[in-house]
Amino acid sequence: MVQPTNPESTRRGRTPWQVTRSVWYAMFMREAISRTMADRMGWFWMIFEPAAFTMIMVAIRGFIRGDQLIVGADFIPWMIVGMMGFFLVREGMLRSLGAVDANSALFAYRQVQPIDTVLVRTFLEGMLRTLVFLLFIAGGLMLGLDIAPDDALLAMSFWFSLWCLGLGLGLIVSVLGTLVPEVAKVVRMLTLPLLILSGVILPLNQLPHWLLEYLMYNPIVHGIEILRLGFFEGYVAVHGTSGIYFWLFALNCLSLGMLLHVRFVKRLKAK
Amino acid sequence: MIEIKGLYKRYHNHHGSDWVLRDINLTLPKGVSVGLLGRNGAGKSTLLKLIADMDTPERGEIIRHSRVSWPIGLAGGFQGSMTGRQNVKFVARVHGGGYDVHDVIDKVEDFAELGDAFDEPIRTYSSGMKARLNFGMSLAFDFDVYLSDEATSVGDRAFKAKASKAFKDKVGQASLIMVSHSEGILKELCQAGVYLKDGQATWYDDINDAIKAYHEETNPTAKAKGTSDKAMPAPAGAGKPTASLTFVQANQRRIKARARLDAAKLRWEQGKADGLPEPQLAELQQAFKRARNQLHKAKQTVQELQNGEG
Repeated sequence: MVQPTNPESTRRGRTPWQVTRSVWYAMFMREAISRTMADRMGWFWMIFEPAAFTMIMVAIRGFIRGDQLIVGADFIPWMIVGMMGFFLVREGMLRSLGAVDANSALFAYRQVQPIDTVLVRTFLEGMLRTLVFLLFIAGGLMLGLDIAPDDALLAMSFWFSLWCLGLGLGLIVSVLGTLVPEVAKVVRMLTLPLLILSGVILPLNQLPHWLLEYLMYNPIVHGIEILRLGFFEGYVAVHGTSGIYFWLFALNCLSLGMLLHVRFVKRLKAK
Repeated sequence: MIEIKGLYKRYHNHHGSDWVLRDINLTLPKGVSVGLLGRNGAGKSTLLKLIADMDTPERGEIIRHSRVSWPIGLAGGFQGSMTGRQNVKFVARVHGGGYDVHDVIDKVEDFAELGDAFDEPIRTYSSGMKARLNFGMSLAFDFDVYLSDEATSVGDRAFKAKASKAFKDKVGQASLIMVSHSEGILKELCQAGVYLKDGQATWYDDINDAIKAYHEETNPTAKAKGTSDKAMPAPAGAGKPTASLTFVQANQRRIKARARLDAAKLRWEQGKADGLPEPQLAELQQAFKRARNQLHKAKQTVQELQNGEG
């Protein structure tokens, strides 16, 4: 069979893991450049968008005067933490939605698999969001907000957990949204109601119990509430918050997403 | 070596789907360059895509014992919003291992000769520029088998010469599986041939035999068509009752008569619209009628000649 003809040919037998790693590296560099450099002021918007959002919400809430409903945390840090957590999930999902289509030209190289595009995009998004969050924490501390995490370990672990949920949802919607374009539209539509239903802006605590029973099916609420617990020591989370439920949901999403990718890899590539 | 065993492929669409490739069994030996022949839609590009593992067959399998390139040619492989340089960088990184990214970029830049366009987004490229870049890129890696889908067809003369030279230089280290409608290039670069027809593949040890088989398929049908086709002037037979005109001449006359008739009609109608006096109008009408008769006669002659020859 194949005999190496020159010393260079030692690269011939790359293991699947080596191939995948070089694909991830190549895709990461590509995505990182196009995400941060391609549009004008890409970096500026990445930081300014959540900042502007916070300011608008603070202005509205200051007007309505609902701050005292949150027990054990200041309103602004409370909202920043929730918003960052929510954006982490939402962006993980939305960025994955277009990942396969945007990179379809690259499936000409057989090393590149559809799932790689989703993994790389979500990873990059997670890194960027983490950076922005750290900047916000630093900025908030300088402004005298009480936004330093009291239980850093819990905060970090649930920041990571929220990222995992975003990845799981992203894996699922990247397959379904690519094969059935209508799904993509519905998912995009769902993100705004989710922002309200996840208790990012309005605390869910004072809602009637019968309504809360349904709202607590939403795993993002659990994730965000526990993330807040990590930040504010005396914080009273929404009744029924459960880390177990959150992780079961995230793991199920991850496995379902990977299964979908395995099942439909041919159809995704052929698109 | 590439083994193809019991390969079936079809594309699904809304109105049923026929097999594009049906039970293909081939062994493409190592070091032998193969030309793929067949009419448009015979499945040449599909087979190439399957060999490159860009697409999956319905049944059967392809076993690759060597490093196979992606199909070099018009189709894809580039991200439109990224520059040529960034795309090359990406591919070099994907192929990883011992390749030095900068080295690859230099090689490609050198070969493709795109100048400043190398740092422009791919979507601004012409198809020829894309082909150059894609071609240059594939040469920067050491593949055992290069797949070419009309890779050289869009390039200009100089590039075509350069491309064939590059492939010739690779002889001994690498082989080629190429789809091309240019028989000159096939004869120049390939030794063996595969002829695809109706989903079936036939192997020929000599590319010239494959080309001959391809001609045999296309020519008889063309001849059969030619006799029934009016537009195609059949050669005038010697044994026929010789008319004063050949078919071509008669046809030209008919066309001229038609033009005259149109002109006469236009003049007559123009005269009516301008309100010319009656005698002048009658004259124009007469001219129109004469032209009509002439056209009629010319048509008849054409008809007769056609029947006589058919």
